[in-house]
Amino acid sequence: MTDPAVISLGDIRGADAARVGPKMARLGQLAADGWRVPDGYAVTAQALDGWLPEAARGELARMFSVAVSGTAELSALAVQARALIDAQPLPSRLADAVAGAHGRLADRTGHGESLRVAVRSSAVSEDGHAASFAGQYETYLGVSGVEEVLLHIRRCWASGFSAPALAYRSRFGGPSPLRVHDLAVGVLELVDARSAGVAFTLDPVTGDRSTLVVEGNWGLGESVVSGHVTPDHWTVDRASGQVLTARTGAKRAWTAYDAAAGRAVLAPLPDELAAQMCLTDEEVRYLCAQAVAIESAAGGVPQDVEWAVARDLPFPDSVFFLQHRPETTWTGGPGGPARPASAAPAPPEPEAEPAFDPVQYALRNVFKVPEK
Amino acid sequence: MSGDSPRTFPVDEFVKEELYPGYRQAFGSQPFVAGPVRPFSLADNERYWLRDSLHFSEGMVPASIATLDDAQTWGAQLGAEIVGVPPTRGSVNRLAGTHVYLGTIDVDTQWQVQARAARFGTYVSPILADFNAYWTMRAGELTAAYEHFDHLDLTAMSPAELWTTLKDAYAFHRRAWFIHFEVMYVLTANYLAFYALAEEIGLSGAQVSSFLAGEQTFYSRTDEELWRLAGRARELGVDAALLHGSPLDMRARIAALGGGATWLAELDAFLAVYVQRMEETCRIDIPSWVEDPTPALYSIGAFLAKPAGFDFNVARAAAIAERDQQIDEARRAVNGADLARFNAALASNQAANFAWWNEEHNYLIDRRAGIPVRRATLELGARLADAGRVADPTDLFYLFKPELFEVMEADPAVSGSGGGGRWADLAAMVPDRRAYFEYWRERGPSLPTMLGTIPDTVPDPIMIEVFGLSGHFLETLRGDGASGPAAVTEIRGFPAAKGTAEGTARVITTVGDLHLVQPGEILVCGGTTTEWTPAFGIITACVCDTGGSLTHAAIVSREYGIPCVVGTAIATQVVKTGDRIRVDGRAGTVQVLA
Repeated sequence: MTDPAVISLGDIRGADAARVGPKMARLGQLAADGWRVPDGYAVTAQALDGWLPEAARGELARMFSVAVSGTAELSALAVQARALIDAQPLPSRLADAVAGAHGRLADRTGHGESLRVAVRSSAVSEDGHAASFAGQYETYLGVSGVEEVLLHIRRCWASGFSAPALAYRSRFGGPSPLRVHDLAVGVLELVDARSAGVAFTLDPVTGDRSTLVVEGNWGLGESVVSGHVTPDHWTVDRASGQVLTARTGAKRAWTAYDAAAGRAVLAPLPDELAAQMCLTDEEVRYLCAQAVAIESAAGGVPQDVEWAVARDLPFPDSVFFLQHRPETTWTGGPGGPARPASAAPAPPEPEAEPAFDPVQYALRNVFKVPEK
Repeated sequence: MSGDSPRTFPVDEFVKEELYPGYRQAFGSQPFVAGPVRPFSLADNERYWLRDSLHFSEGMVPASIATLDDAQTWGAQLGAEIVGVPPTRGSVNRLAGTHVYLGTIDVDTQWQVQARAARFGTYVSPILADFNAYWTMRAGELTAAYEHFDHLDLTAMSPAELWTTLKDAYAFHRRAWFIHFEVMYVLTANYLAFYALAEEIGLSGAQVSSFLAGEQTFYSRTDEELWRLAGRARELGVDAALLHGSPLDMRARIAALGGGATWLAELDAFLAVYVQRMEETCRIDIPSWVEDPTPALYSIGAFLAKPAGFDFNVARAAAIAERDQQIDEARRAVNGADLARFNAALASNQAANFAWWNEEHNYLIDRRAGIPVRRATLELGARLADAGRVADPTDLFYLFKPELFEVMEADPAVSGSGGGGRWADLAAMVPDRRAYFEYWRERGPSLPTMLGTIPDTVPDPIMIEVFGLSGHFLETLRGDGASGPAAVTEIRGFPAAKGTAEGTARVITTVGDLHLVQPGEILVCGGTTTEWTPAFGIITACVCDTGGSLTHAAIVSREYGIPCVVGTAIATQVVKTGDRIRVDGRAGTVQVLA
């Protein structure tokens, strides 16, 4: 009996990381442990391994047989590779399995045809302890319809060939571009988020475990995770659960679903929202209590937890957890990447960022110049 | 914060319009970056003013007010402006009588803070990227100027040439002080970033300067040479002549001894290299060592009074071992990204090391930049005395620079065709001004540590780390009127160098009294500078009213391996000479035992 190509989230547990990637495995376990997570399914890495027709595979092998030196060359190669992959249809058996799972999801959620999903890459080697691949694989928000879902599954898979992902792999290790069987794809109901962001169970700047940090913005979490805005920022005392500081971020933009575009886009944030904090203190305290419990369930290792607060549900049923993972900067040890943890995207050239810039540090922490 | 109302030490009794008898400033011709040296005015009660006994213990003569203007006012303000230090426009000075008080000018609008921060980033980053190349360039500029000024034969100059030389010397002095503050602000930022990072990652910021210890400076080499000369004096049998008797005829007495000629030749070889130094910043009225090597002879005598001598190699090896051990301990205490940040900050500070530069720069700037002005002023004074314009060459130190410039510009040849009557007016004021200086010199030790309104906190990090205006310091000053210093038996300050010592206190309020310090005593003083350094070889601990982690006493105590507590605010008021005291340099406490 062969393993299923597609697994419903309700059947995924922590032990399934080798099939669905740690991200989806942890999410499945989180759901099984009783946390509110969006419903969905995962296409396994094994099912996606080798899906590419023989001819296309040969063409990819030929492209990567030459040594690549510069960033420009790498980018050109990445564009070619992704165009090639985009154009290949998924094998019909796999497409059928996805269509079936998608239909069941549409029924379970009650949305039917109008179901909107997030299609997320979930690399088997992603976000382990050794090196954070955060941001190197793509996520597509607001996808609807089976055909679109199939296209974006292929795009997720192809994102393993993006220039930053290729550069990141060559720098920090990981399978060669042709050994692509380490990528699974998760398809999750898109939470209609009023607000979303990240909660850290330690202070990601200082590593102080007595303090939790919550960052968030209006709309979907993508604007926070991608570092496009300076989010609202709270610090919370772990012991008492009290909010220590609350800072309104310079939130000029948000990620919102654009019906015309048929997907989520980054758009200017309406002025009346920009000045307001996107969470109540009660929500912040609740998020932190849950994040501490998630950390506990994860063996006490500090976590960053992505969350979303749904627009039309009563608190606390409105609070969803989208993923969590070990906090890499403070738990990675000396071999880990030496960059400050934040919601900012991984730099395209990680080694170019100095571990410590005395000038910027002095401006912020000695002369106390506020960030603009 | 609590319910404390701010405490004010009124400036009222020091409010004057004249800086000295017969002299009022005219600012029209003297543009300033932010504000010149002035007497106190009543408006100054609103701000805080710290007595700078650290640099200027005895007061300022009129001519030194011009060099003070160049240094702590103009130089600091231009440095802060050009480097773009966000929170401060630099320091500004007020005079109580002849004594220097130091204040800061906060930048108080957000736009200016942001604009300065942007400037600061672009200015400082390239300098820190290769500090060695940058300092080599600046030090080269200063050295080239000294090559020029030191080799001028002033006595052979025509009157016009001499006057031009004095103007050049003043121009150079001003330039040297811009360099001083440019470098200082750059290095302070680097140091304070490391300090703040250390605090952030769970280390102690107070430790940071000990991570940077053990580098040789021009002054540590000077002291080492002085110790070597003391040892040679013993070997050659001239030590008794150095220990006893007046320094004035010391040379003759030594020359009369068997090994005397040899020792004096070695002394002269030392002086040829190390004498270009003045005893106090900006004090062009005090002889430099090149004119009067008495301070060097005093140091040698003091070292001879300590029977065991002082082994610099052992002390330095110990300081370096201690430093490396502390760095290793710190590295074990942090990990991951913290360790990477710590290592990067340490590397940046090793390459651009404030603890080192803070001593080293004195040789090229603080203690030397005024020497060309002094030499030219004395030569001019000698000619004016010969011409009967003034009674004594040193009378020129009792004229303000604008007074001198006015009369000299009118008649650079001092031919008498112009300004003759003016010279008589000026000369007539000198005796009063000399008396005024003496009057205030005697009052110096009793002047308040701070004047004006003492704040809860001070935003300027330089005032905190260099001058020691910590929250504790300010709190102590606000509180000391309540119980009275007499009631205090334990003083707290900044733990500047570790170790404990118990011994007899020697309270010194001016560097001129430094020769009173006996081997084994604990030095208690307002603050120390380079000329105090020789005492560190014979004392067993050091306690200062002022100072933070970066002050001279803190740095030198670590090099000499003795405990040190700075920033106590009130030690010189609480402790009396002869008291038995106990200093704990790790806890930062001083106990008065009896």
